[in-house]
Amino acid sequence: MAHKIKMAARNLDFYYGSFKALHDITLDIQENRVTALIGPSGCGKSTFLRCLNRMNDLIPGTRVEGELTLDGGNIHAPDVDVVELRRRVGMVFQKPNPFPKTVFENVAYGLRVNGVRDNAFIAQQVEKSLRDAALFDEVKDRLHDSALGLSGGQQQRLCIARALAVAPDVVLMDEPASALDPIATQKIEELVHELKKRFTIIIVTHSMQQAARVSDMTAFFYMGKLIETDNTETIFTRPSNKQTEDYITGRFG
Amino acid sequence: MDGRSHFHAELELFTDKLLHMAGLARAALADALRAFHDRDTALARAVIDRDAAINQLECELDDFCLRLLALEQPVALDLRRIVGGMRMIIDLERVGDEALHVAERVIFLAHLPPSPMPAHLEELAFRVTEMLDKALAAFKAGDAALAQEVCRMDGGIGDLNVLVIKDALGQVEQASCSPQSLERTIHEVIAARSLERIGDKAANIAEATIFIVHGVSIKHHCRPF
Repeated sequence: MAHKIKMAARNLDFYYGSFKALHDITLDIQENRVTALIGPSGCGKSTFLRCLNRMNDLIPGTRVEGELTLDGGNIHAPDVDVVELRRRVGMVFQKPNPFPKTVFENVAYGLRVNGVRDNAFIAQQVEKSLRDAALFDEVKDRLHDSALGLSGGQQQRLCIARALAVAPDVVLMDEPASALDPIATQKIEELVHELKKRFTIIIVTHSMQQAARVSDMTAFFYMGKLIETDNTETIFTRPSNKQTEDYITGRFG
Repeated sequence: MDGRSHFHAELELFTDKLLHMAGLARAALADALRAFHDRDTALARAVIDRDAAINQLECELDDFCLRLLALEQPVALDLRRIVGGMRMIIDLERVGDEALHVAERVIFLAHLPPSPMPAHLEELAFRVTEMLDKALAAFKAGDAALAQEVCRMDGGIGDLNVLVIKDALGQVEQASCSPQSLERTIHEVIAARSLERIGDKAANIAEATIFIVHGVSIKHHCRPF
């Protein structure tokens, strides 16, 4: 079955000053599917992830060449509102980073900064987002307590709820479970399966087993290059490229 | 640098043990055929007795695979080596069983006077042995082309088995067919059936090699290759 292309990179190069971190990346991100980016440290997978909502713009001296599109529109076009881009392409980071506010206000934050003033609507969206993040039942009696009192796994799902509250199209996840215990990791992975029904998800992970478990497509990066991308099943059973095979079987050197 | 050298050493050990099991199954076939040819009941009994070692290896290698799958979570070529290996274990154990069935014929025929092996049965024995040798060589070398050749040989084995049965029917239809001759013929047909099955197992082993090398299953022609 053909999937709609939600985001696409075409001949993308990325530079930190004079250092070229990404080389000629061409990759389609399919809608309502999970794409995993794997590869050793420094391979460019997180850099690529941060290109997708222009988070790298915040780093001085960086430069992009080539094209990145969201629903066919170039995200680097002069008329693109970066704040709106980041609303549509949300992000969840490695370490849970709730604001030092209540559970409710953490989720409401994105709506408030986007100018929403209707408290009834905000309350409705907060509950919906917490339910979508499979957290509501655990925090419904603590909505007005500090988010910092939640466990690490709950905090990470709160950050996911916060990302979902502004109704993004795409959710970027940068090693979202690497700081969590196995049970909390399992909950995040189950959540990813649920979320892909309504969102497009791109996940960077160092755990190849996690990539195998949660993703539909896998892209293997090495030294700033996209070496191979294919269905996750194909990558983990019969990859085409020797470097991919060596990496995922631990024969890398 | 191999980041999983411990696991890969275990995989090598698994392959070594699998080849050892293959060697025992291959020897069982060779000895069963020699015993059949020479009416050597002592050798036939040895084949029957040695089957326990093949069965024991099947259990041992099954546990080995289960442990590697559970603890090492292999992927790609490593995964295919284990899954393909598990399929081979089953086939090798059955090669041992079928060799045992051939050896049993020798015991049953012991009271009859020796007679030459029928030509088609002899040819069947030769072809099946060749198939098994090539299947095991293909596995050892990771040679998918040789494995494909083994798969192609399988059709000829079935034809030879039909010829053995036709010869047997011709023998039985003769007015001069004695009860002893009938008994011998029945055991020869049973031996031919066992040999044909060994040919099937050799083809399965070859298919497993193709799966390990290329990651495609050609069983029942379900995937083009």
